Amino acid sequence: MTLVMDPTGDETYALKGITNWRGKRILEVGCGDGRLTLRLAGFNPEKIIALDPDPKLIRTARKNLPEKYKERIEYRAGNAEHVKHKANQFDVIIFSWVL
Amino acid sequence: MVHALTEAHRVLKPNGILMDLRPAAKHRRAGLGEGKHWKRVGVMRENFDDDIAADRAVKQVIRDDLFQQESLIEFDLDRVMDTLQDFHAWLDDFDVEKLPSHDWLYQKVERALEKKPAGTKIAVRGLMRLRVLKKIVDSID
Repeated sequence: MTLVMDPTGDETYALKGITNWRGKRILEVGCGDGRLTLRLAGFNPEKIIALDPDPKLIRTARKNLPEKYKERIEYRAGNAEHVKHKANQFDVIIFSWVL
Repeated sequence: MVHALTEAHRVLKPNGILMDLRPAAKHRRAGLGEGKHWKRVGVMRENFDDDIAADRAVKQVIRDDLFQQESLIEFDLDRVMDTLQDFHAWLDDFDVEKLPSHDWLYQKVERALEKKPAGTKIAVRGLMRLRVLKKIVDSID
C-alpha cells in the first residue's frame, strides 16, 4: 500500500513549535514503525526512547533506523501503563495516537 | 487511560511536559488532489466513543492536579494515496466498531476519480489535536 502521511509537514511544524527539543530526553509512547520518531530526532533531542506494544512494529522501526540516529533513538517493546524507568527521567513525553 | 497518564506523570521530570497527539473527534474528509488543490468528495462517519473516553481521562488527571494544560493546537493532517486499492486497504484497516462499512464512500470516490486525469491522488484529511500538559510537581505523596 502506498500511503504518504503528512506530505506538507504540518504535524512536524506543530510539534517543532511547541517546545525546545534540543538536548532533551524524550519518551515517545506508541511509536509504531517509527514514522514520527524520525521526525522528532531531527529536532536534536539528546535521546528518544520510543515504545510500542507491538514487537513486529518495533522490529520494522529498528530496521528502518538510519545510521545517523542510532545513538539518539532507542526502540523498545512496551506500553504506556508500565514504563520501565525510574521516576523523573524525561523532559518530554509524547503520546502518539495512543489515548 | 488514566493509568497511562499517571505513569507518564511518574517518569516525567519536574516541570516536564506531556504531549497528547491524536485525531480530534471530528469526521475525516475524503477527497481528490493534494495540498491546495484538494477537493472534498465525502465525509466519513466514524464512531468517537474511544476519543471521548480519552478526553475524559485527560480531564480527570487535570482535575486530580497531576497536570495543567499549557496549550491546545489543531491542524489538518493528510494521508495521500496513489490508488483506489490503497484507499480500500486503508478503510479496511479500521476496526468495524470504530468505522462501519464505508463502501458508499469508496464508490463515491471511485466515481469522482473517473472524471479526473490519470494519476490524481486520493487524500483523506483529518483534524489533529495536540494538547500540551505540564506536570504539576508534588501533586502525589
